[in-house]
Amino acid sequence: MSYLHAPRLVFTGDFLSDVSTVNNDTAHYNNATFQPNFQDPGQGATNGWWNPEGGAVFDFQNCAVKQIFLPDGTTQSSPADDIIIGQAVVGAEGRPTGKMVDLDPDAQMFSALWCVQLRICTANGDLLFKGDITTTSFRDLQMRQLDGGKSNGQPLGASWTSVITNVEWGALAEQSAFLKTLRTTTQNNTLAINMNPFGYYYSHNDGRFSLGRIIGSIGPYFENEPFTFAAARRLYGINYTPSARGTFFSISNFLVEPDAKRVSVDFGASFPVADSIGTVNYKQDLRLAVSKIPQAGVASRQTPTFYINPNDFIEIGALDYQSDPNWLNQTGGIVSFNNLPDTTVSALAANQLILVSPSTSQPGQFAIIAREAIDGLVARADNFIQRLDDGQSVNIDFYAYQWGKLLPNASISVTLDPPTPDTPVGPQNPISEIYGNNFPAEGLTFNGQISTNPQGKAQMQLTGNAIYSPRVYIDGQIYFITYQTPTVDQAFGTEQVVVHLRDYFEEIANPVWGDISEMMIQYSNLYPIMSKYVVNLADPEALAEKKKILIFAFSRDMNDTMHMPVTRDLSSTKRNTILNWLHNPQIAPKPVVRSEAREAKAANPVAPGTALTDKQASYKEAVKAKNGSFPGFAATNDLFENL
Amino acid sequence: MLQIDSRYIEKALTANALEELYPLLQNAIELEHSTIPPYLTAMFSLNPGTNPVQRQIIHSIVIEEMLHMTIAANILNALGGKPVINSADFVPEYPGPLPMGIGNGLIVGLEKYSTDVVKNVFMEIEEPENPIVFKSVSLAEMPTYSTIGAFYQAIQQKIEELAPDELPGDKSKQVTSSFFPADELFPIYTKQNAIDAINIIIEQGEGTSTSPLDQEDELAHYYRFEELYKGKRLVKDDTAPNGYSFSGPPIPFSPDGVFPLFPNTKTSMLPVGSEEWNRMNEFNTSYYSLLSGLHTTFNGQPGMLDNTVGVMYDLKLTAQKLCATPFPGKPGYNIGPSFEFIVPAGS
Repeated sequence: MSYLHAPRLVFTGDFLSDVSTVNNDTAHYNNATFQPNFQDPGQGATNGWWNPEGGAVFDFQNCAVKQIFLPDGTTQSSPADDIIIGQAVVGAEGRPTGKMVDLDPDAQMFSALWCVQLRICTANGDLLFKGDITTTSFRDLQMRQLDGGKSNGQPLGASWTSVITNVEWGALAEQSAFLKTLRTTTQNNTLAINMNPFGYYYSHNDGRFSLGRIIGSIGPYFENEPFTFAAARRLYGINYTPSARGTFFSISNFLVEPDAKRVSVDFGASFPVADSIGTVNYKQDLRLAVSKIPQAGVASRQTPTFYINPNDFIEIGALDYQSDPNWLNQTGGIVSFNNLPDTTVSALAANQLILVSPSTSQPGQFAIIAREAIDGLVARADNFIQRLDDGQSVNIDFYAYQWGKLLPNASISVTLDPPTPDTPVGPQNPISEIYGNNFPAEGLTFNGQISTNPQGKAQMQLTGNAIYSPRVYIDGQIYFITYQTPTVDQAFGTEQVVVHLRDYFEEIANPVWGDISEMMIQYSNLYPIMSKYVVNLADPEALAEKKKILIFAFSRDMNDTMHMPVTRDLSSTKRNTILNWLHNPQIAPKPVVRSEAREAKAANPVAPGTALTDKQASYKEAVKAKNGSFPGFAATNDLFENL
Repeated sequence: MLQIDSRYIEKALTANALEELYPLLQNAIELEHSTIPPYLTAMFSLNPGTNPVQRQIIHSIVIEEMLHMTIAANILNALGGKPVINSADFVPEYPGPLPMGIGNGLIVGLEKYSTDVVKNVFMEIEEPENPIVFKSVSLAEMPTYSTIGAFYQAIQQKIEELAPDELPGDKSKQVTSSFFPADELFPIYTKQNAIDAINIIIEQGEGTSTSPLDQEDELAHYYRFEELYKGKRLVKDDTAPNGYSFSGPPIPFSPDGVFPLFPNTKTSMLPVGSEEWNRMNEFNTSYYSLLSGLHTTFNGQPGMLDNTVGVMYDLKLTAQKLCATPFPGKPGYNIGPSFEFIVPAGS
C-alpha cells in the first residue's frame, strides 16, 4: 500500500496518449473485408475512430510535483520547504517514449503502460531521480466528470498502480530531505506509484486532443506487496446518481496506520470533478466516519440512497476541499487525518470507514456516499493481464486482506466466463462476422479453487494450450476468468484475470511472403502510421528494403519500448517467422501450394444471439463509451444535494 | 562558392597539441549536425507516397551526415576530448549561418522541398573543392578557396603530425553500429583509423577530385543533390568529357506532392496552448531527447545508440504529422518542424 505511506509526493499535470484507434473495432481485423476508409477519422464501424494515425506514444506533459507528505503527518507545498516541490515530472530522455496499448480489440478496458520512464528534474534538466514504471494496466474505471465529458468525450477515469524500478538518484537528491527519507524508507531501491488518468480528449477541443489529466503519487515500496494494486482497504460508492447511471466516489483506496493514529484516504481516482482538468466546484459537506454497525448497501436505481444515524458512526472529520477549485490538482485528492482519538483508531480496526453527507430529505440523518468493503474484505489478483503462447505457464498471484491485514485461508474460486456468441453481419455489425470469446475452454488449464497461505497470498498456475484460430481472422482468443471470495460485495462486484492466448503456430524456418503476408497486411491495415510514414507493411519489397531496422524492432525484448509489434500481440513463433523472413526475404510465392491450417477453427459452443452475462453486457457498453459511440453521459448538476 | 572561415583551417594547421584540435572537432560535429534539420525538413515536406526519389536521395544523405557526425565524435573521443551535444549552443538558429562561417554568409533555413532549395542551399553546403563539371562548360580556372573538405584535411594532417600511433582516448567510448557498414563506421584506436575515417567524410561529402563517386562507388552528396536539381540521374557516359553525364533516367518531381511548409516555423508562431503548439512541443521534446541520448552515447555509453534510433522515429513521426497540419492563421501554409532547443523540464 506503499504509495499512501509516508513519505509520499503528489504530482499533477497532463499525459499524452497517442493511441491508435483503427484497431478499436474488432471487425477491422478482417483483411478480407477491410476498406481504406477504416483508416479515416470518424465514428462508426466504417471509420477509424478518433485517432487512426496514432502511434501508441505515452508521455508526461506539464507535470510537476505539487506537494509532499512527511512521516510526521505534515504536508509541504512550497519549494522553500523542499527542493523537490515544483519540479517537473517528465518521461524518457535519450530513448523513445513509453507506449500505451490495449490487450486486444476484445479486451479494451485494460489499457496498459509499457516501458514508461519517469524522471523528476529541475527546469535545467538536472536529475532528482528517475526510474522505469513496470508495465501496468487500467484498474478501477470510474465516473469522474460531472459535465459528462462534454468537451473531451470521455468522462471516465481509471488508475494505474505499479512500481518504479531501476531507480537512479541524481546528485541533487541529496539536497532534498524528502528524497533522503524516501530513499531510506523504501525497499529494494524500488518505489511505489499510483496514477489516476482522467479527462482524456477524443475531441479536438481546448487544444487538448489526445491529452488527459493525470494525478500521481509516489511513495515507498515494501517487499512482498502486490505491484498493480495497493494493499489497501477500499471504499465503494453506494449512492446512485441517475445522470451517471451509477455512482460517484465509486472506488477509493485508504490506509489506516494505527501506530501513527492516522487514516489516509485517496480520492484521487474517485473525486467528482467539474471538467476535464480536475476543477472541483461543488461544495457538499462530506465527512469521513467509522460506522459502528455493518453496512452492506449497494447502489441501485430502486434504492439510490442509504442513510445512517449519527449515533451509529464516529466522525473522523470533514473533507476540507471547498475553498479551492484546484484542490484536487494540488493535493492529489489524498486526505490524511492525523492524531485520531484512540477510540477511532480501535474502531477502525474492525469497522467500516464511511463517507457521509448530511441528509436534506431526512434531517438529522446522513446519506452514505461510500462505504468500506463488507467485512473489510479485499481479494485481488496482481498480474491479472496475461499474454500467453501455447505451452506457456504463468503463476497468477492473489492477495486477500481483511481490515487491511493479509488474510490467511481465504478461499478464492476462479471460473472461466461463459462463451460469448458470434455476431453475424447485420445492420448493427456491417463489416464482418465477429467471433465470440472464452472458447475453447480447453485453451486454458488452471485449478479454480485456491486458498491463501498463512501470508495471505495464493498462487494459481495458468497454462495456455494449443488453440486453432477460434476467432478466424484475429490471432488467438481472449479469455475472461472471474475470481471471487465466497461472499461478493456487489458494491464493487467481481474482478477478472484476462488472458490473450495466442494461436498455435509452428515457426517457419524458411518462410516465403505468403507465409507472413496475412499478418503483415493486417498490421498495415490497423496501423496506418507505419505504412504511411515508415514502411508499407503490406509491401514485401518495401519491407525487404527496410529489413535492417525491422529486424532491429522485431527482435527487441517485449519490455523494450522499441519492440514491434507495439501491441505486443504476436506469439513468439509468429514473430520468429517474420524475423526469419526478414533475414532472407523471399518475395516470390512458393512453387508448391502451402498447407492450409491443419485444424478447423474451434467452433463456438454457443449460438449467435445467446444472452450475455451482466458483466459481459456492461463490458460491451464500456467499450462503446471508450470509443465515443455511447449516446453520452448526462451532466450532473446537483450531486448529493437532495439526499 | 562555399567557403569556410579560413581561421578554422589556420587553427588546425597551427595546432601544436592534440588538445588544440578538440574545439575544431567539436565544431565539426556541430557542422555535420547542422545540415540535418534543413535536409530533414525538406524531406518531411514530401507528402507520404509521393516524390519517392527525392525522399530516398535526401534520406541517404542524412544517414551519411549522421555517420559523419558519429565519426567526428569518435575522433574527438579518440584524441581524448569530450563531445558536447546536449547544450543550447549545439543547435543553430534557423535561418542562419552554419557553424564555422560556412558558405561565407550562406543563410540556411528550414524550408519545404524545392529545386531552388536544393540548388541554392543544399548544393552550396555540399559544394566540393573542385566540382567536376559534367558535360557543360569547360573547366574554369581553379579557385583557391577553402572548403569543408579542406578543413577536414587540415585536421587529418595535424593528427598525422601530432598524434601517437595509438590514440590516447578511452577505447570504450568508441561508437559503432550495426546500421552502418563496418568499413564506414569503425572504432578509432589508431592514427591510421582516424586518417581513414576522415577520408570517408570527405569523399562521401565531396567525392574524389577526379570522380563524383566515393570509395564505395556512391555518388557524393553534391552530385546526388545535383541529380535532383537537374531532374536526371548522373550516369556513366563514355562520350562525356568527364565520363559521366546527366543523361540517366529522369527523376520526376511533383510540386503538388510537397506540403507548403511555412518557412522557418517557430513554436512562438503558434497559438499558445493549441493542439498545434502542443504537437510542436512534442516534436522539440523528442529532438531534445535525441540530442541528450546522443550526448550520453558519445560520452561513455555507446550502447545507448540503439535507443536514440528509436527516438529518431518518434521525431520523424511527429514531424511528418506537423507537416500535414495546416498552420493556424496562415492560410495556404502548413507547419514545419522547428528544431528548437528546449529542455522539456523547463517551463
